[in-house]
Amino acid sequence: MSYVQVKQLSKSFGKQRVFDAIDFTIDQGEFITLLGPSGCGKSTLLRCLAGLNPVDQGQIWVDGENITDLSPQEREMGMVFQSYALFPNMTVAENIGFGLKMKSTPAAQARSLIQRFVELVELKGKEDRYPHQLSGGQCQRVALARALVMQPRILLLDEPLSALDAKIRKSLRQQIRDIQTELNLTTVFVTHDQEEAMLMSDRIFLMHQGEIVQQGSPESIYTQPANEFVAGFMGHYNLLDKQVVKALFDLDSPHKVAVRPESIYVKEEGRQYEAHISSPKTAHVLNHQLLGNVIRYKVQIEQQEMTVDLLNRSSERLLPAGSRLELLFNLNEMQPVSP
Amino acid sequence: MQNVNLMAHRITVYSIIALLALPIMATFVYSLSSHWGASILPDGFTFKWYAELFSDSRFIAAFGRSLFVCVLALVLAMLLMLPTIFVVFYYFPQYDKVMNILILLPFAVPPVVSSVGLLQFYADSPFTMLGTPWILIGTYFTIALPFIYRAVSNSFIAINVKDLVDAAHLLGASTPKAFLFVILPNLKKGIMASMFLSFSFLLGEFVFANILVGTRYETLQVYLYNMRQTSGHFTSALVMTYFAFIFLCTWLGSRFSKGNLS
Repeated sequence: MSYVQVKQLSKSFGKQRVFDAIDFTIDQGEFITLLGPSGCGKSTLLRCLAGLNPVDQGQIWVDGENITDLSPQEREMGMVFQSYALFPNMTVAENIGFGLKMKSTPAAQARSLIQRFVELVELKGKEDRYPHQLSGGQCQRVALARALVMQPRILLLDEPLSALDAKIRKSLRQQIRDIQTELNLTTVFVTHDQEEAMLMSDRIFLMHQGEIVQQGSPESIYTQPANEFVAGFMGHYNLLDKQVVKALFDLDSPHKVAVRPESIYVKEEGRQYEAHISSPKTAHVLNHQLLGNVIRYKVQIEQQEMTVDLLNRSSERLLPAGSRLELLFNLNEMQPVSP
Repeated sequence: MQNVNLMAHRITVYSIIALLALPIMATFVYSLSSHWGASILPDGFTFKWYAELFSDSRFIAAFGRSLFVCVLALVLAMLLMLPTIFVVFYYFPQYDKVMNILILLPFAVPPVVSSVGLLQFYADSPFTMLGTPWILIGTYFTIALPFIYRAVSNSFIAINVKDLVDAAHLLGASTPKAFLFVILPNLKKGIMASMFLSFSFLLGEFVFANILVGTRYETLQVYLYNMRQTSGHFTSALVMTYFAFIFLCTWLGSRFSKGNLS
């Protein structure tokens, strides 16, 4: 049986439905990401798991126990907020020790626990600092330690990296993932950043308008988008109408077809291609964007505009607008997507 | 150019300060002079008036009564407002606007009008309110509300109440404990600032004190008014003592609101 089971969970604010009859399960030690655009209900869902928002209907089970009606104090969940939510009047050590104090943990035991987690988040020597004396990344590590020291059954992370700058974000997301793996901690992470979700998660629950539209490993969500929304959200997919697919590739599809920009090749002369590679299509370059290791071209094939990502290699460098290219498509990568 | 400008600003500001300080300085000198009649400068200096003032048991009593009324009104107002503001900010942040209007109502009616209203209202009450300190405490309570609400709600805005309380809840704290350990310590600045500032305002209040209570429970301002027929030197000493006290309170209040002491 799964560690966490969410059954038919529904929540609305007044007349506005946030989500309706959501079901999912999480295994122990899994890193789950709730991914979606803002307003999709992912943060509300997380707050419902924490008990900070009451649910209208449905049940939440953790480790065989129905916790739906428990208060946040009784749920044994740790949470890290986007705003850090550190207590400004307390030092790093006092912040981390707050939950232990509430649990009336004996002082000596509390001290050694605080010490252990201060070291775990690499803040040794900063125990007596106040939050306003710390950088954003350090604050978020204190918040993480404060949640972890309670040995929560589930760790909830509500966009913990969104307020940080790019460099800190990269190192902290790795640190969070490392600690999570080390402690084998069941974790639910909320973000709107698909790159973050892909990098950190065991599984992603992609949410849209209060529904989990697709769940699965990062790879399966990225390569097999279930519908047009997922294709649009997860990458820079080309969405081709079925008439275009018929005309270009002579394929019949019930829906639109999603084509990843990096699955398109430039034809190399004299090379033999396998059967699942299409015949070459003549494309005209409209413009390009240099992304570093990749050059993203906007091209036109017959009447259809497409995005093509090519590796930034010397032979294919920055083709000017108007250049002609012979492009090949991998027919196995043509992913029909429902609307 | 900038220096000239700065100079001009300085001269303007210092002249205004000097102009405003002039009557206070004059009062101060008058309170220290033995006699100051037909001459440009006083005839001599003395602490006689201060000595007389501080040995007047009526002054000490009036001062004590004022302190009692003001402090009690402020403590009551604070005890009511702290949980109220917490509830508004944590549970119903959309009502902050409504509170801001409600809280200004005591100011919308001029003191003379509302004191007459209170007189009429309590004239027929089954228990005596008029002429007792209790009606004054009640009135001062309402006057203090806007000061307290504004200053304390500013402190609330400066912290993220919702996330802090949620975080405390998840760490096992009940709502009262979260308020006590997490929210209250961060309001210290706002509480102290509003306490000192409204205290100095209330101590100088005369209209309500005179109309509702008058000599039956003589407060500082009423005592000052009743002493207006005695020696000008004596009342000057009284006014200076009062000013010094108010100055101290205001100074403490502004120090707290700047956060130097927190």
